[in-house]
Amino acid sequence: MVEATHLIEIPLTVEIPVGPQHPALHEPLLLKLHADGERVIKVDVITGYNHRGIEKLAEKNTFYRDIFIVGRVCGICNAVHANCYVRALEYLLDVDPPPRAKYLRVLAMELERLHSHMLILAVNAELAGYETLFMYLMKDREYIMKAKEILTGQRVLADYMMVGGVRRDIDEVKKSRILDIVQRVEERVKYYHKVFREDATINKRLRDAGRIKQADALAYSLVGPVARGSGVKTDARAHDKYDAYNEIPFNVITEDYGDSYARAMVRFGELYESANMVKYILTHLPQGNPVPDERKLPRRFPEGESYAIVEAPRGELTYYVSSSGGDKPYRVKIRTPSLNNIVNSAFAYVDQMIADVPIILGSFDPCISCMERAVITDLRRGVKYQIPLKMLGGVKK
Amino acid sequence: MSQSLVESLKEYVVKSYAMKPNRLVIEVEASKVREVFVKLAEVLGKESFYLATIEGTDLPEKKLIRIDYFINLFKHDAYLVLRAYLPRENPVVPSVIDLIPGALAGELETHDLLGVLFEGNTYLRRSFFVPEDISSKGIYPLRKDSGV
Repeated sequence: MVEATHLIEIPLTVEIPVGPQHPALHEPLLLKLHADGERVIKVDVITGYNHRGIEKLAEKNTFYRDIFIVGRVCGICNAVHANCYVRALEYLLDVDPPPRAKYLRVLAMELERLHSHMLILAVNAELAGYETLFMYLMKDREYIMKAKEILTGQRVLADYMMVGGVRRDIDEVKKSRILDIVQRVEERVKYYHKVFREDATINKRLRDAGRIKQADALAYSLVGPVARGSGVKTDARAHDKYDAYNEIPFNVITEDYGDSYARAMVRFGELYESANMVKYILTHLPQGNPVPDERKLPRRFPEGESYAIVEAPRGELTYYVSSSGGDKPYRVKIRTPSLNNIVNSAFAYVDQMIADVPIILGSFDPCISCMERAVITDLRRGVKYQIPLKMLGGVKK
Repeated sequence: MSQSLVESLKEYVVKSYAMKPNRLVIEVEASKVREVFVKLAEVLGKESFYLATIEGTDLPEKKLIRIDYFINLFKHDAYLVLRAYLPRENPVVPSVIDLIPGALAGELETHDLLGVLFEGNTYLRRSFFVPEDISSKGIYPLRKDSGV
């Protein structure tokens, strides 16, 4: 018998870094792929390039200053961040804003959903290889930004929410301008929807990419269009009926198949719903003064705690605010939808092709500055892959 | 909903009350957190809820760290908060990651920012969010006496 003298170690996989520069959106995120040939067998999601310590910052500033700080957690969905935090404060103070303010808040948030979904659909198109479609979608998105500017005074950072109401009212001229824009853009959305449904390349690239089963979406706490694309009927607007969502009619859109295409279709469905909600709000806006007198708001908050949720374009966004009695919060906890959707979703890349990774990441609508977070390995498979080389081709999902 | 839930979890409930607006808070022993999640899946069904987030608060005056599990009972349009208190000197709680893989983000975050040890979670590490120059000194930024 010959004794072995050498131990030869063959690397099982090739490690390919995707990012941190521009893996899908122009935001920093590193996906460390472990690939066997063209097939991904494990993904480490590495974030933390953007952590700004906003929760700590919120503890050091007053309740009212924090409204402006949380609005800057995320550029694209600043109105929902501010809305969720402001409502957490209103729960603490037992303040109920007037109906007109509630309608206007929903209007700002639905305009935000419109432009956010159009952005990620444009990015999906770009990742699938259609730069022209990206440009078209971005051009029409710009009209929605304009509508948001007409309403709030700013096309991106709205700073529209106030405790007890909103910062600006709207008149008949503005109403008709916003209505006109939304009607025009809705027609364009119908056309883009048709392109996504009928174009062979987009279908080939998006279908079956990153399929997530319903049970997995729930177990891994995925939220928003990602969960709804897998058939989970969860929508904070329907569960919590905050602001005016108990009066404005809308449907929760779900798709069953759970792939990147299903997630895109959920977003298209929600574009129509949001456009309808905007039209409903502009034609059913209650009378009254939506702008509260800031001087009459209490400086000090009573002791207590509250937990507000909002359906951001990317999914359920939550704010926990605790007050120990004073002018500063004792603790503010922000959980953004991208934290769950990106950090917990490493399993969705397994057994997919390398070229599909950006498509799958894009379909999760990542917002990195929103989640600013981590090192993750695939949980279902464990860290180490002690399998013989000959089995590599047969890695089952 | 709240009444029946408190009733079905009564062997674990230390105290129950409401958080604004209408969120049911159930205080449980830290060591029983895993059992409560198993019981919850039995009572409500595995596919009727998900763990939305884990939140930790430092309470230096009471020498405690409070940890809250926010659970979205979306099929019942309700929210449940499981609350447990841990000693500040040795904040250890069993991890629920094998029961609920979605706990990963929350457990990693709470560990890195507050120093809570989730026993059984092999993915825990410092510098999840916290920059290395701070984490290498053993500082947990969300502790009130961290000096950050």
